[in-house]
Amino acid sequence: MSGEMIGLIGLISLFVLLGLRIPVAFAMFAVGFVGVSILNSPQAALSQLASDSFSLAAKVELVVVPLFILMGNVATETGMSRKLYDAAYAWIGSIRGGLASATVVACGGFAALSGSSVASALTIGRVSLSEMKRFEYDDRLSTGVVAAGGTLGILIPPSTGFVIYALLTQESIGRLFLAGVLPGLLLLSMFILTILVITWFKPAMGPKGPSTTFTEKMRSTGGAAPILLVIVLTIGGIYTGIFSPVEASAVGAGLVILFGTLMGNLNFAKFWKAAQDSVVTTATVMLILISAYMIKTFLALSHIPQWLGTYLEGLAIPVIGVLAIMLAIYLILGCFLEGFAMMVLSMPIFFPVVQQLGIDPIWFGVLVVLTLEMGLISPPVGLNVFIVKSVAPDVSLAKMFRGVAPFWFAMLVTLILLVAFPQIALILPNTMIQ
Amino acid sequence: ETVKFAHWVPPAHTLTKSTIEPLQAATADSGLQIDVYPGGELGAGPLEQYVRVVQGVADIVWGLQGYTSSQFPLTMVSELPGAKPEGMTGYDMIWNAYEAGQLDGEFPGTKPLALWLSEPNVFIMKDVDVRTPADLEGLKIRVSGSAAAAAVESLGATPVQMPAGEIYNSLQTGLIDGVITGASAIGDFKLDEVANSYTLNAPLGHISFYVVMNQSKYDSLPDAEKAAIDAIAGRELSKSAEEGWYARAESVIEQISSMDDNTVYTLTDEERAAFEELTYPIRDEVVANVGGEDVLKTMQGM
Amino acid sequence: MLARLNNWADRLIRLTALIGTVGLVVEVTVILVDVIGRFFGAPLTGAQDITAMGMTLIVFGGMALCDKIGGHVNVDLFEGTMPRWMIWAGDFASAIIGAVIFAGIAWTTWQSIYLMRFQMNIVQTTNIIDLQFDWFKGAIVVMSIVTALAMTLRAVQLIVTGDNGQESKGRA
Ligand code: NA
Ligand code: NA
Repeated sequence: MSGEMIGLIGLISLFVLLGLRIPVAFAMFAVGFVGVSILNSPQAALSQLASDSFSLAAKVELVVVPLFILMGNVATETGMSRKLYDAAYAWIGSIRGGLASATVVACGGFAALSGSSVASALTIGRVSLSEMKRFEYDDRLSTGVVAAGGTLGILIPPSTGFVIYALLTQESIGRLFLAGVLPGLLLLSMFILTILVITWFKPAMGPKGPSTTFTEKMRSTGGAAPILLVIVLTIGGIYTGIFSPVEASAVGAGLVILFGTLMGNLNFAKFWKAAQDSVVTTATVMLILISAYMIKTFLALSHIPQWLGTYLEGLAIPVIGVLAIMLAIYLILGCFLEGFAMMVLSMPIFFPVVQQLGIDPIWFGVLVVLTLEMGLISPPVGLNVFIVKSVAPDVSLAKMFRGVAPFWFAMLVTLILLVAFPQIALILPNTMIQ
Repeated sequence: ETVKFAHWVPPAHTLTKSTIEPLQAATADSGLQIDVYPGGELGAGPLEQYVRVVQGVADIVWGLQGYTSSQFPLTMVSELPGAKPEGMTGYDMIWNAYEAGQLDGEFPGTKPLALWLSEPNVFIMKDVDVRTPADLEGLKIRVSGSAAAAAVESLGATPVQMPAGEIYNSLQTGLIDGVITGASAIGDFKLDEVANSYTLNAPLGHISFYVVMNQSKYDSLPDAEKAAIDAIAGRELSKSAEEGWYARAESVIEQISSMDDNTVYTLTDEERAAFEELTYPIRDEVVANVGGEDVLKTMQGM
Repeated sequence: MLARLNNWADRLIRLTALIGTVGLVVEVTVILVDVIGRFFGAPLTGAQDITAMGMTLIVFGGMALCDKIGGHVNVDLFEGTMPRWMIWAGDFASAIIGAVIFAGIAWTTWQSIYLMRFQMNIVQTTNIIDLQFDWFKGAIVVMSIVTALAMTLRAVQLIVTGDNGQESKGRA
């Protein structure tokens, strides 16, 4: 049997295991492990299990996972999240879906300090989901917003997605970051538009609140002052070079702990519970990330990406057609693979095709990252949806995927706009860097 | 036979042309096929790279001794500032010691195919021109290992540890003022977009690399394939690798020199001497600590 | 008998989670001390070494408790249409697959310690303050064994009582 065939069977088995309610990480481990055993050797598969577990667990960049969750947990335990949403509610609660829109904006803001979609979805999800529930927002809307909004993390700079793309293709990181800004803002607006449309047709999903007086608005803003200060200090510290985006997660957690203690809202028992919850959520998230590596190796060994590349090169159709097929492949692969794994696997094969066809590599980078974002929320393996599930265990995954669907279409529209008008991505890098 | 070569850099990296392709070309006729898995396809990141080849996840791997320095204390003597004599190559140094049997304990379970040194480390700075050690006073400099950290401290700067992927952002925001590494890294990590002042010819040492093959995999190959590997493994492949690194560094330096907003400065030997006074004692200290006096002598051909 | 085993497993699970939680607290402290120290020109030596190795404790410390409270994410898209036996089979398969995976992680991690340290005489450490990898790999081994045992116990319980013994957190 050919490697490609084994690869295909593996992906189908993954689908079946997931359908049988095997936990996502276990299913990916099982399929990846068996696949690597066949295509390499059982000993290699076993050894990889150990070396990937250790090297990914010891990856400094991933420390943002437990630390941002801790920050979110403590902010919630101390009532800081509550006050933040009270303030948001006072300002825009009278608009249908206002809090959901505020959450999208928060995701955009978080994206400016974090380069990772996982961190965005985790932190914002931890802070916002119970709050939106408190104001009787529908679970579908709130989880959909967080899962989709979280993906802004890799479109709005800084972005690990663009960094990996740049290193794989030798393109400029600076240009790619600039190219992500306008598409990021466009997508953010599309998300808000989507919320307005959803709540227009189904007002009960994001019910209108009472209108408030200016005094009430100011008072609630005052209540949210500590958490707003944490946000300002954390973003400010990154952009002034006092600490790195990775360290920012510890600074953010440290500040909410400090403020919570000073205000008398945090005692040791609460803190310990928040910390232990963070450790458990970290286990969920990291196990999924480690298992995604196993699947990546399996697919690399199956040579499916090469096979796709050869297929693309042999196509005698116009450039736009090849581009469409490439993006379609990303969408399909995105259903199974974690985004960065996909980029590492595919770029060495697709990028030469891109260069040969004279497609602008910066523009292509933006299209790829946006497509990756769509993959992060599409079933059956929608990493960001799983991440949100890990902080909202009471909401069923079926609900989440239904909730995220309209936002997926908003991304599709954005993608089409970007294909039709490359200037949206290219105008900033072309005018600001010669 | 088909063997798997694993590394974690992009396929466009210097490694491909300088090392992997010559190895593939030299062994192809014997029937040996070398499949390459770039970008960490066979496992995440550099930390476990040696373990990976020993445990058979891959048959051949590329790696940096510096990621797990504790395994390679003697090999890494070759990296130190002032260890490499004028006119000698880095790979000759390491192979001198390896062939004398002095490095056997550091490469257990594998057959080294290539061992070499990078081009000399340089100062890659943002908004600071380094001409004398005093220019570094109080600055934050990114380093990767303890020897480099000691050297940076000896120059009066503060050593800062961070993953390679964070350097770009940290230079941009001013979290660090500079990096000490080989010039080829300027291209690999796009540092030229955020740094603007480069100082060459400072005594800052080099970086060492290895390509090793699983010993039992090698033993299991047919004689013709073994012979083909033997014909290129060692100094020949290492020479090709080291020259590839130097060529890449040269083209990067040429490229950054041609840009208006960059300052590229080569220290005069007199200016260099002021740095030597501070970094050479570090070399002697490290060599003494690891008991590497004899090894260093062998490396230097003495 | 099963109850007593469960009781003991619970204690081990809480213990590993405790280690993970302590690790998290250390992590926050170390990074903050490093950031503040660096601001004044005196960063904490080896902060990154501690951060990297400490992460292994955090990640694996929570594994057993995560499973215990049903924290692993699964796809419940078809749960509503599944007969009871199929749900039971899925639970049982999950426990078995999970146990095998964690036993596998424990076994191969131990193998890598044994191979490098005892057969080849190589002690790998972090670069700045020489924290030995093996101590942290050892922690992964122990924590993975606890996780695998807990999952095995759950599989046994599923056969004996039909109940999966997970707390309700992960159930939708
Ligand atoms: Na971002
Ligand atoms: Na997906």
